[in-house]
Amino acid sequence: MADIAVQRIKKELKEVIESDEIQRCNIFVELADDDYQDLRGKIAGPSDTPYEGGTFHLEIKIPKSYPFKPPKVKFLTRIWHPNISSATGAICLDILQDEWAASMTLRTVLLSLQALLAAAEPDDPQDEMVARQYRNNYPLFFKTAQYWTYFHAGGENSNSEFTEKVQSLKDMGVSDTRALIALSSCNWEMLQAVEEIFS
Amino acid sequence: MAAVDAKSENTNEGNKSDEEDEKEKSTSSSFECNICLDTAKDAVISMCGHLFCWPCLHQWLETRYSNPTCPVCKAAISKDKVIPLYGRGSSNQEDPREKLPPRPPGQRSEPEPQHGFMPGFNFGDGEGFQFHFGIGAFPFGLFTSFNNFGFGGGAHAAGMNIPPVQTPQEMRDERFLSSVFMAMAILFLLWLLWV
Repeated sequence: MADIAVQRIKKELKEVIESDEIQRCNIFVELADDDYQDLRGKIAGPSDTPYEGGTFHLEIKIPKSYPFKPPKVKFLTRIWHPNISSATGAICLDILQDEWAASMTLRTVLLSLQALLAAAEPDDPQDEMVARQYRNNYPLFFKTAQYWTYFHAGGENSNSEFTEKVQSLKDMGVSDTRALIALSSCNWEMLQAVEEIFS
Repeated sequence: MAAVDAKSENTNEGNKSDEEDEKEKSTSSSFECNICLDTAKDAVISMCGHLFCWPCLHQWLETRYSNPTCPVCKAAISKDKVIPLYGRGSSNQEDPREKLPPRPPGQRSEPEPQHGFMPGFNFGDGEGFQFHFGIGAFPFGLFTSFNNFGFGGGAHAAGMNIPPVQTPQEMRDERFLSSVFMAMAILFLLWLLWV
């Protein structure tokens, strides 16, 4: 690991810990190993979004050529968002690819991800299924994302209808995560979801 | 609240040193390289005003050679368009990253000349002479501006700009070229007079 990368990460960890955001419990980052290559981040779902109340865990991998190349970040917590894969947590965000600049830090990356949660870009999707729902039926997208926040990220549950649907699929012997994905991608149509699972 | 109370109980002396520490911290942080976040070594500054260590910026430019942008504000940036910052008494410190390419040199442009533009060319009496001279000088003017060389001894005497600092090799080349041009100019003038 290059010297400059380790030095940077040390400073950046300090910056995040000393920042105002951590005091408001909005972002957090810690080391996952001792050689400063693997980190874990946490961001709080922004208010007035379907992610409000949830805490989203992130995996941050620091490349050897950091900060000249961007860190590799993905969501460990499953999330229903047009620019984040619902299956793998991969993120489609320009600053983590071509628009990366060496002056960006872990703090700005985490804040950018938080901003991405508040302002999705369905025209440049990572998860086409989610983006289609976002474009065609925004109220249902909102409720689905809210339910995912409850289910995976510790948000509040305010949707008993969805809970019942997931439960009835579970009764058929389907795992609850599988049931959630099938129902979400079929716009919560029970028959379609059953068909998708058992076809 | 407990922390605030404890601080207010500090002696005046204690408070003063805290303030100084704070001041020192904010001063040094404003001279941090935007890439390594350390105090800038071999400091250079971009046209958009952002400070970097030259080794850091060089590495960034290497990674982004197709479309180099400022790592802070994404303005266009290039090796020729960064200015080195020369502090005082810092040249003795050995830089561990010395093996990297040297910092680009400072760009010195000469101040505007005090007197008017080429007053030496007003020596001609007849209009016809000036006309011929104008045509004769044209291709050499083109050559000289293209090669960024001075016009030779005669032109220096006439009050033209002194060329920027050059290596001895460049100076020899320049002297040679100007003598060639001078000879060509004389031959051309002779030819004009003969025709």
